[in-house]
Amino acid sequence: MVEKQVEAVAVINMKKIGIIIAFIVTSVSFAQQDSTTVYKKRVLESTEIDFLLSYYSQDGDNASVTGGIGTEELTDITPTIVVSYPLNDDDILTVDFGISSYTSASSSNLNPWDSSGASNGEDDDDDDDEDDDDDGFRNADSVIEGSPWVASSGASEQDVWVGGSVSYSHSSDDRNFIWSGHVSFSTEYDYTSIGFGGAVTKLFNEKNTEISIGAQAYIDTWNPQYPTELDSYLEAEGDLNDGFFSGVTIWGVNDADEIYAIDKSGDPLTNWAPENFSLISDKGRNSYSTTINFSQILSKKAQFSLFLDVVYQQGWLANPMQRVYFADKNNYYIGNPDDIPVYETKENMGVFHLADDIERLPDTRFKTPIGFRFNYFINEFLIIRTYYRYYFDDWGVNSHTANIEIPIKIGGKFTIYPSYRYYTQTAADYFAPYNEHLSTSEFYTSDYDLSEFDANQYGFGVSYTDIFTKAHVWKFGIKNIDLRFHQYDRSNGLSAWIISGGIKFVMQ
Amino acid sequence: MKKFGLLVIAIVSLSSCVTVKEYEKVNINDPDMKLSDYSIDRFKTNALVYREAASGGNGGKTGGGCGCN
Repeated sequence: MVEKQVEAVAVINMKKIGIIIAFIVTSVSFAQQDSTTVYKKRVLESTEIDFLLSYYSQDGDNASVTGGIGTEELTDITPTIVVSYPLNDDDILTVDFGISSYTSASSSNLNPWDSSGASNGEDDDDDDDEDDDDDGFRNADSVIEGSPWVASSGASEQDVWVGGSVSYSHSSDDRNFIWSGHVSFSTEYDYTSIGFGGAVTKLFNEKNTEISIGAQAYIDTWNPQYPTELDSYLEAEGDLNDGFFSGVTIWGVNDADEIYAIDKSGDPLTNWAPENFSLISDKGRNSYSTTINFSQILSKKAQFSLFLDVVYQQGWLANPMQRVYFADKNNYYIGNPDDIPVYETKENMGVFHLADDIERLPDTRFKTPIGFRFNYFINEFLIIRTYYRYYFDDWGVNSHTANIEIPIKIGGKFTIYPSYRYYTQTAADYFAPYNEHLSTSEFYTSDYDLSEFDANQYGFGVSYTDIFTKAHVWKFGIKNIDLRFHQYDRSNGLSAWIISGGIKFVMQ
Repeated sequence: MKKFGLLVIAIVSLSSCVTVKEYEKVNINDPDMKLSDYSIDRFKTNALVYREAASGGNGGKTGGGCGCN
C-alpha cells in the first residue's frame, strides 16, 4: 500500500516536472521569438515627390552694382522638385533639383549704356576675357545714355541658376542613431559651386533628447564680371580715346560745379583714372561650416532646440560686379550732362557716374549664428512656433532675428499660418554709402545688404493635408498642398514679397 | 553670451526631470511642432540670405553655394 502511494507521488512529481519543463521551454521559445521579431517601422513608408515653386519680387533705391544708389528691381521664379525614395526600412535617398531664373535691373547695369547703344548690341565687355577686341564696335556719333535708375538691357539683365543635391540618410534599427551625407552642385553665369557634407544624430532618454552634429563645405568659383567702364579701361590701357571710350564724351564737374567735357588726351592725373582697379586675383571662394543642434522635449506639449553654427569663409568674398565711388576723387560721367545735377534722384534718366573701383572686402570671414526654437502645443487648434537667432561675425556685423508663427488648424485638413519676423543688423566695418569711401582705404563696399537696418516681415499661409491621400494623380496620392506669402520691408527702403507653393505626392 | 549659457544650463537641467513616453507624444509629433523650418519656406530663407548680412542657424545656406552674403 505504502509502495503504491510512493509510486503515485513519484508519478505526480514527474508530471509536475514535465509541465514545468514544458512551460519553461515554451516560455523561452516565446521569449526568443519576441526578441528576434522586433517590429521596425519604415523611416519613410513610400516614395514622396514635392513640386515647389516660388516667385520673388523686390525694389529699392540702393543698388550695389551702381555703387549704393539706383534701382534694385529684381524678379525671380524658382521651380523645384524634391524626390525622397526609401531604399529599404532604414535608408532614404533624396534628390533635389531646382532652376532659378531672375531678371535684375541692377545687375543689368553692369553695362548701363547698353540699352542706348553704347555697345551697339555687341559684347558687353564686362567679363575678364582677355581676347576681347571691341575697337570700333560703336558708331562715333551714337547717343550714349545710361542711368542707375533705369534698367539696361545688357547680357547680365537675366540669369539662370541651376542647382541640385543628392542626400542619403541611414537610421539604426532602434531609430536612435542617424547618419547622413550629401553632395550638391550649382552653377550660374558668374558663379559655380560644389558642396558636400554630413551629419550624425543621436537620440536618447526615450527619444526625448536629441543631439546632432554636422559639417559641410562649399568649394565655389567666380567667373568674374566687371563694370563695363572699369574692364574697358584696363583693356584700353588707360587710353580714353581707345576701345569702349572711342568717340565718347566724358564729362567732369569743376570746383565751381560747372560741367565740362574733359580733354581725353590731357593729363591723366586730371582725368578719370580708376587706379585702384585691378582684375581679381583669387577666383575661389570656399566656405566651411559646422552645426551643433540640441533638442529636448520639455513636456507633452512643449519642446525646444538650441543651435550653434560656426562658419569660416575664405577667398574672394566681395562681388566683382559691385561699384564703389570715392569721395576724394573727382566725379566723371558718360551720358546726358543735363542730368548730372540730378544724378542721385530718379529724375536722372540719362547719365552714369564712372566707377572708381569694385568693392573690396577681406579674404576671410568668420560667422557665428546661435539661437533657439521653442514650440508649444496650446490645443488641437493652436500651436505657437518661435525662433530667435543672434549672429555676429568678424566684419563687425551683429544681428538679432526673432520669428513667431501661429499655425491655426481649421477642420481636419486645413491649417493657416500667420507669421511675423523682426530682423536688425549693424553695418559691416567696411560699409559706406554712395561716394563716401576714401581711395586710401584697404576695404570698402556700398552694398546696402551690409549696411545698418531693421526689417519686418509679415507672412500668411494656408496648408491642406490629407494623411489618407484620397485624391490621386496617376499612381500618386496628394498628401499636402502648401501656399505661403511673405511681405518684407527694410528700414532703408527695400521692399520685397515672395509667394511660394508646393504639392507633395505620395506613391500608392 | 554668459546669460545665454546660463539659460541653456537652466533649461537643460529642468528638462532632464521629465521623460515623455512614446505613447504620450501625440501632440509633440504634430507636424507643426517640428523644430525646423517648413520645406515650403526654403525660398523665403534663401532670399533672406541674399538680402541680409546674417545667415545660418536655420538649415539654410550659410554663405557658400551662392554669391550671396
